[in-house]
Order: sequence, then structure tokens, then C-alpha cells
Amino acid sequence: MLEVTGFTKRFRGVAALDNVDFSLEEGEVHALLGENGAGKSTLINLIAGTFPWAEGVYRVNGRTITSLTPQVAQEIGIAAVFQEFSLVPDLTVVENIFLGREQSSGLFLKRKQMRQAAAELLDGLGFHLPLDEKVAFLSRAQKQMVEIAKALRIRPKVLILDEPTASLTDGEAEKLFNAVALLKARGVGIIYVSHRMSEIRNLSDRVTVLRGGKKIGTVVTSEISDEGLIEMMVGRPVEQLFPKIEHKPGAVRLEVRNLTTEKHSVIDASFTARAGEVVGLAGLVGCGRSELCRAVFGLEAIEAGAVMLGDKAVERPTPSSMLAANVCYFPADRGSEGLALARPARENATMSSLDLPALSSGPVLKFWRENETIREPLTNLALRPMAPERKASAFSGGNQQKLMLARGLMKSFDVYLFDEPTVGIDVGAKADVYNLIKSLVEAGASVVVSTSELPELINLASRVYVMHEGKVVAELARQELSEAQVLSHYFGGHA
Amino acid sequence: MVQASSLSLKEVLRVARLPIAIAVVLVLFGLVEPRVLSFGNLRNISLQASYLAIFAMAQTMVLLTRGFDLSLGYTVSLVSVAASMAMVAMGGGDASILYGVGAAVLIAGGIGLANGLLIAGIGINPLVTTLGMANMVLALASTISGGFPVTGLPKSLTAVFAERSLLAIPMPIWIAALVFVLLFLTLKATRFGRSLYIVGANPKAAVAAGIRTVPVLVLAYTLCALLAALGALLLTARTGSGEPNLGGNLTLEAIAAAVVGGVRLSGGEGGVGAAVLGALFVTVLSNGMNLVQIDGYLQQICLGVIIIVSLIVNRDEARR
Amino acid sequence: MSAETATMAPTVANAPAHRAGRLDRFLMQGGIVITFLVVAVVATALIEPRFLNRLNLLNVMRNFALLLIPSLAQMLVMTAGGFDLSVGAVVAVTSVVTAAVMLVGAGYFPGMELFVILAALVVALGVGALVGLVNAGLVSTFSLSPFMVTLAMMSVLMGVALYFTQGIPIYGVTDSFIANVGRGQFLGLPIVLWAALAVLAACIVMQRFTALGRHIYAVGSDQRSARLSGVATGRTLVAAYMLAGLLAALTGFLMTSRLGSGQSTIGGTLALETIAAAVIGGVSLRGGVGRAELVALAALFLSVIANAMNLVQVDSKYQTLVLGAVLIVALAIERLLLRKRQA
Repeated sequence: MLEVTGFTKRFRGVAALDNVDFSLEEGEVHALLGENGAGKSTLINLIAGTFPWAEGVYRVNGRTITSLTPQVAQEIGIAAVFQEFSLVPDLTVVENIFLGREQSSGLFLKRKQMRQAAAELLDGLGFHLPLDEKVAFLSRAQKQMVEIAKALRIRPKVLILDEPTASLTDGEAEKLFNAVALLKARGVGIIYVSHRMSEIRNLSDRVTVLRGGKKIGTVVTSEISDEGLIEMMVGRPVEQLFPKIEHKPGAVRLEVRNLTTEKHSVIDASFTARAGEVVGLAGLVGCGRSELCRAVFGLEAIEAGAVMLGDKAVERPTPSSMLAANVCYFPADRGSEGLALARPARENATMSSLDLPALSSGPVLKFWRENETIREPLTNLALRPMAPERKASAFSGGNQQKLMLARGLMKSFDVYLFDEPTVGIDVGAKADVYNLIKSLVEAGASVVVSTSELPELINLASRVYVMHEGKVVAELARQELSEAQVLSHYFGGHA
Repeated sequence: MVQASSLSLKEVLRVARLPIAIAVVLVLFGLVEPRVLSFGNLRNISLQASYLAIFAMAQTMVLLTRGFDLSLGYTVSLVSVAASMAMVAMGGGDASILYGVGAAVLIAGGIGLANGLLIAGIGINPLVTTLGMANMVLALASTISGGFPVTGLPKSLTAVFAERSLLAIPMPIWIAALVFVLLFLTLKATRFGRSLYIVGANPKAAVAAGIRTVPVLVLAYTLCALLAALGALLLTARTGSGEPNLGGNLTLEAIAAAVVGGVRLSGGEGGVGAAVLGALFVTVLSNGMNLVQIDGYLQQICLGVIIIVSLIVNRDEARR
Repeated sequence: MSAETATMAPTVANAPAHRAGRLDRFLMQGGIVITFLVVAVVATALIEPRFLNRLNLLNVMRNFALLLIPSLAQMLVMTAGGFDLSVGAVVAVTSVVTAAVMLVGAGYFPGMELFVILAALVVALGVGALVGLVNAGLVSTFSLSPFMVTLAMMSVLMGVALYFTQGIPIYGVTDSFIANVGRGQFLGLPIVLWAALAVLAACIVMQRFTALGRHIYAVGSDQRSARLSGVATGRTLVAAYMLAGLLAALTGFLMTSRLGSGQSTIGGTLALETIAAAVIGGVSLRGGVGRAELVALAALFLSVIANAMNLVQVDSKYQTLVLGAVLIVALAIERLLLRKRQA
């Protein structure tokens, strides 16, 4: 029904997608598997028309398509649910579901009919949502449901689902799976992006694996093992990606006691991190592990609880006081919170260290020594290209990440908080990040990693805290760490 | 390598675009009216541009933080009137100049501090804050003066700060040059200057990097207002009286100069050099139009068009 | 509601992150503006009983009407995520245009007063729409800052108005225009008030019951999402700015009938006043939020305090000061109330 051949897409000369073929049958669930940066999102964005047209041939129902915008894609029956939502925060659930496809009689909206239709649509999916609430006030899981309902308003022939369960609980995900089965029975073709093995196995008919922008292969799901899929995805045995870390847990460097944030995104959470070990924070997107890191670093207001560094309690953490106390935090979202993209790489590398004697005395900035100071950290991180005067925005995702990480190497910190350290970077850069973590830990620092990538936790961490709905629900020691073990705590249950 | 050298030629053209444009405009006006290129007029242009340059540099300090100061022009009016009244009240002798300067610093400092605290401390949108402040300041300027110029200023004020020359260069140019050097060094070689850029380029990242954004912003707005006050004193020295209408168009002109020079409204890019060049360009243009006797109101139209054109031009550059 | 929460696992992370609380409701439904208005009316009536005098109230109504229409224009642009600093300049230009067309038209078509008046209206509206089109075109095609575009547009328009009039009012406005529109009444209320109320009603209907209204909110709230959802964002912006231009032009037309001449100097503080009315009326500076009826209440509030200051003979210059202060205070109150909620 849908067939693309030779799809190629370049960003700044770098091929994000290289000569990829892909096809989808009626009533088929076709899973796309690959690591972050493998080209999955580029491919689905091209199919959905959100990225401008690139090289390759695109056929739908035998018709060759020459150009595509989201509008045209919708007209030929292609709908997409991306991880980044396309919901307008100031409109209500109903208004969002019909945004851009409002039903009117003459000049006026058919408000009742649309409300009715939206209610039916959501009922059919088994989603219960407050129809007249502004989307801004919904939780991430609820927004996800709105987004799915919105994609189905056009009765699509092709539905793209990009990690739809990343923020859903068990029960909610179950409803989604039922909806997928229903649509499949109706003959809708579904492209399903996920990296949870169990979902791919239960839902999909075929799997296409991408790596580094290239297609590795398409296989029938029932004919391949999980291990086979993982090897196709990673391209090397897992052990080669992750370095062996020698954990030598020493004194407690960071202790969080019964911490609750003002927004109640974290409730009564406690954990400890010792020198010489990697502590993992696991859980669904939105479970509070990011907020926990942020609260420790003073970016999230704390309502109750204590943050202890060694045996000293920090009264009110602020980023500057925490940096001064040798705690370093790397935010999850490089673009929005990590980097000043319009400024040169050099300034991004030094921006959290301007008070170091190497860089300033009093108010005076020793700009003449700046390049010298950053050379070693940037060389250690293998920044490519090694161009400190280039704007941060001109580097690739992996190298932008390195610019941010360089801050942690300007002096030796006691505690490093990593929030999603490998989002949107390629395998090579990932290995660099893991090696950095290894060298930090083995030099005696305490590292906290909050991540949604289970393999990272299982291979890097000496202990993992699992969070669910703002609370710490489990603490797992290294020997208990396995994908199934960790996942079983994701939904707060004892499955 | 070949590519690199052709790129750098492009770079040269990009950097030199404004000086080239200034030269072209000068020559074009010179063809119509040869007086434009006379030594006397060129000196005059530099003198006029030095005032605007100070205001453009002031505005740049807040533009770099993604902010705006719409109260700049009326701050100039208020400082001019209030400083003059202070000088007259203190007898109008040479020593009274100090009181005038004191009044200017207090008033401008207060306005800048208020802007900065409202914007950074409470978090109100800079446009609306400074728009509201602009109208309050305007009201004060016109009420305390009763709408009339304040006369009876010390003679030495004009003699020293407007008319005296040092090495054949008029005092205002020296002062503008000094301001330029100080601000250039501040931006390049102080933690405050660096923080200003980072806060402007990405305020959230600045916070996460441990930069205390509130003091940085408050200082930026205060600096902007103090520089406006300096310009106001110089303009007052030139006219020889405190003028309630002194700053009417200055807000727009200062923003125009900065934007023409290439300071980005999205924050974090540009510098005082850009502001000075932009001020020179705007001055050359208005001087030329004056000399070929283009109506003042038409000049206002031109100013608007120039702002839009330079916004479009600078934007294309960002895309590349 | 309770059934929903029961099936939804009523827990913190998955329950709404912050369901619209009482404070949000208060702010959304214009708590601030209603409080302001009630206090202003009661205080004025107590301090200065002449406020309730019929003639004075009529005067308040007229001023209110002429503030309401451009404030709605400002609201349209702001809810679409923009800003219109040129609104006062459009009023000035269209006032000049209205008077000029009448002056010239009366010479060519003596005795056909209604025709001349309508012609003046059409030309003025045309100018307003054109300005809106240019503003929107620059904002959406080149993605320039709406603030800078309209600031530059203001400079251009003021230059145009002053150049053609050299700052001198244009007299020769058709007499029946002044008598029937500017000073006219219908059912005991000024014609200009009826006009403003009609515009208000149209705006309310447009915002609530038409796709355009919804699209304006969507574009202002999140342009990317709106575009991905199939909203023609460029056309929506053009519509918002053109409607604003039309309303500003209507204001210029009506002001001319009120003043009896075309004046290039009116509208100087209108940008501030309309932004104040919009902001006090709860229009978000970030776009996507704002309701016409609340903006109307805010405009009424501003008209009442202006009138009160006139009655107690405050220098008109101090009125600008109060306006600026009210704007900042209203915003500060809102910010401080929302403080706890913000990230």
C-alpha cells in the first residue's frame, strides 16, 4: 500500500537517512527499530511530510507522490503521532482534536457535533479525558491520548506511532494496544516506532532495523529472536558499546532525604550516591527522575526534604551554590537548557566555570587564557571539528553534547548528575559519553544517571532506583539488574 | 583550503558591509550635493553620530539580553530637564554642574533599576515594562518643566562638553569613543559581559550554568539608563538648555541604529561596534537628506523602511 | 468527573500536572479586571458625585467606545502572538484620509453627503487593511519580530500623515458627518458606542464560534503545532492583522467625526492605551489567550479612571503617568499571583 525506495535525506551535508527502502501493507503493523539517531524519526518525518522532500521514490496505492506537506499527507490518509506533540496548549481537548479540520456550517462552527464526535472517538479508543479542559493542564500521558485521537480524526489509512508508550502506564498502554488491534482489523497500516522489545514482539508483523541512517534489514517478527534484533540494532555485541566500569563505592557524596518538590513532581524521594559508583535513576518519561536531579541542583523548587553533600545539608540549593560545592548537572535538553547555541563553542564550554581562577580574577575575565584552558577537556572529549570559535549551533548533536559535557571537566567535581546523557546522539558519541562516565567514576567521583535507556542502566550502574509517579518505588542492586526486573517496577506494581 | 579562502572573502564582505554602505551613501549624496563631502560636514557627521552612538550602545546593552528599552528616549528628556533644574537651583555656577550630574545619575539609575527589577525580578515582559515606564517618565519630564525649556545653565557646560576640542576632535566624540572602549572591554573581558551574552542567547541555559541572571539583567538595564543620562547631559550641553522634548525620537533612532548595525533582537549576538557603525549609517543618511533638503517627515518614513530592510537582510544571514 | 478520575488512576504524575486551580479560574475569567473596574467605579462615584451625571456618563461612553475599538484590534494581534505598535499611527493616517476624502469629495459631489461619507469610510478602511496586510506579510514571510515591524510601520505612517498635513488639522469635514456620527445618538446612547458594541459583539462571535477565531488562538499559542495540525498559519496571521487594521481605521474615521477635523497628531498614546487595555483584560503577551469581553471591561476601567482624573482636575500629563503605572502594576500583580506556578 505504501512503498518508499531509495530515501535519502541530508542535514548540513550529513546523511541522516541513506538510501532506505520501506514498505507497508494494509492491516499490517510494521515496527521500526533503531537507536537514537539511527534515522527512525527522519524516515517517519519524511513519510508524514513534516520534513521537506528528499531524494527517493514514494508510492501510495500505486500512485507516485512528488511533493508532500503535512496537509497533503493527511489528505491521502497518512496520520502521525510524534513524540513531540502538535497540540496547542491554550485550546481545549475538543478544540485540539479538530484543529485545522473544524466542521462548520457556513461561517459558524458546529461546536456540539464536534464535541460529540470527539467524545465518540475517545470512547472508541477507551480513553477518558476531560473534553473541555485546556491541554496545558493535562498530564503528559493525557496529552499523548489526545494526540492519538487527533491523528485518527481523519480516518487514516496509514498511522505512524512514534514511541507512543514512552509516557503511558501499563493500563493506558493496554488501551493503546487494543486500539492498535482494532485499527489493524479495519485495514489500517501502522508504522510503530519503539525500542521496547516486548511491544514489538506482541504487536508487529514485520520489523525494519535502521542503524546510522542505513537500513540493516527487514524481518518477519516471528522469525527472529530478541537477541538477533538487538544485534541488528547495535551492530556490535553490547559489551563493546559499554565499557567495563570498576565500581569502588566509597563515602556517601550525595544524599537526598524525603525530598518533595513544590510542584509535587517528586514526592518523598530518598537516595544516596557514593564516591566511585554510578547510580541509575529509572522510570517512565514524566516519572519524576528528571525533576529529582533538577531539584538537587536547585532548578526545581523544593517543598520539603533535605539535600546533603557529604554530611552537610544544603539549605536552599541554587545552581551557582551547587557548582561551587562541586556538583555538576547536565540537562536533558541541550537546545533549550544546555547550550547558548548562538555563541561560540568556547563560551559554551566555559559558561559554568567563569568564576574559576583559571578564567577570571575578580570581575575580569581572562579571555586570553580561555582557549588554553578549554583545549584539554575538548581534546579529551574528541570534539569534532576542533573549532572553538564556531557557533555551538553548527555542531552535530553528539558534538554539542560534548560541548556541554566539557563543563564537567573544567574542574574536578564530586558529584555529576546526568539527565538523559545520550538522547539524539550517534553510537560513536554514545561510546564517548560512556567512557567519560567511566573515567569520572574511576577517578573517584559520584555519578548519577537518569535515563530512559534500559541498557545504559543495566551496563553502567552499580545500583538503580526506579521511580514511579514521583516516588522512588524500588532500589535494585547490580546483581538484580535485568530489563525485566527494572521494567516490572516501572508501573509501580509488582508484576 | 580553497573553500576556506573564498569563505573568508565572503566573511570580509559581510563584516565590511556596513562601512561600504556608509561610503556608498556618502558618495551618492555627494554627487547630488558636493557639500556633503566637505571636511566641515564630515566633522559634523561624526559629531552628530557620537551622540546617537552613545544611545545606540546603551540600547545594545539590553538588546543583547533579548530585552528592549522603550523608555530610553524619555529618560533623556527627563534627565535633561531635571539636571538643568538642579544646576539652575544650585546657582548656575561651574560647581553646579556636579549637582546636575548627580541628579542625572540618581534619576537614570532609579529608572534603570526599576526597569531591571520589574523585568528580571518580577518577570514582566520588557516591552510592556519599558513602554509603561516610558510614559511615566514622559509625564514627569513634561510636568516638572511645565513643558518649557530650562534656561540659565552654566556657560562652561556648553563650552567644555559641547564646543571644546582636544587634538582638533570635539569633546563629544572623545566621550563617545571612551564609552565605546569601556563597553567593548566590559563585554569582552569581564564576567558580566560574558554573562550578558549567555543570558541573552539562552536564559535557561544561563541559569543551569550557575549564572545569576537577575543581577546581570538589572545591571544591564541600569547601565542602559545611565548611558542614556550621559548622552542626555551632552545633548543638554549642546543646546544650552534643558529640553523636555529632547528624546522624543531617540528611542526609535537608537533601536534603528543598533538593528541596522546587526545587533540581533533574539539576543546574544552583536556588540557595541555594531551599534556605533549603525549610528554612523543612520546619521550619514539623515545628514545627507537634510543637505539635499528632504522634508523631515519623509526622513521619518525612511527610518522605518531602513529598520525593516535591515531586519530582513540580517535575518538572511542568520539562516546561513 | 469522578468517574473519569476513578478509571484514570488518580495519582500525581498522571493526574493533570496542575489542573486549572481556583487561581487560574480567577485569572482566566477576568478576576483582576473586574476587581479593578468595580473599585474604580465605586471610588470615583464616592469621591466625585458628578461622575454619575448623565452628560458625564455619555462622555465616558464616547471615550470608552473610541478606546474599545482599537483595543480589540490590539487584542486580535496579540492573541495571534503579535504586537501592534502601529495602531495609533493607523488612526492618525486614517483620520487624515477621512477628512481629505470628504474635503475633496464635497467639491466634486456637492450635496451627496452620504455618498461622500461612505466613500471616506471605504477609503479609510482600505488604508487600514493595507497596513495590516503589510504588517502581516513582513511578520509571516520573513518571520520578523512583530514588535519591530509595527514599530517601523509606526514611524512610516506618522511620517506619511505629518508630511501630507505638515501637522495642521484638515478642516472641511462634512457637517452632517459630525452631527450624525460624532455627536449623534440612538436610543439615548452615542452612535460611536453602538458602533463599538457592534464590533465587540462581532469579535466575541468570531472568537467563539468561527474557525478563524480558533485558528487565531492556535497560531498565537503554538505556531508550530498549529501548522502541523493543518492550520494555514500565514493566512490566519494576515486575517488577524488586517482585521486589526480595519478596526484601527474605523477608529480613525469615528475620531474624525468626534473632533470635526482630520488630525495627524492623534493616536500618540494609543499604542500604550490599547496594550494596557488588552493586558489588563487578560490578553497574554505570549499569545493564545484573550477574550474580547474582558478587554472591553478593561477599556471601560481605563476610561473611568481617565474621567475620574479629569473630574478632580488632574493634569492630563499625569494621566499618562497613571496609565503607565496601572499597566505595570496590573502585570506585576498577575506575575506575582502566578509565581508559584511558574517553572
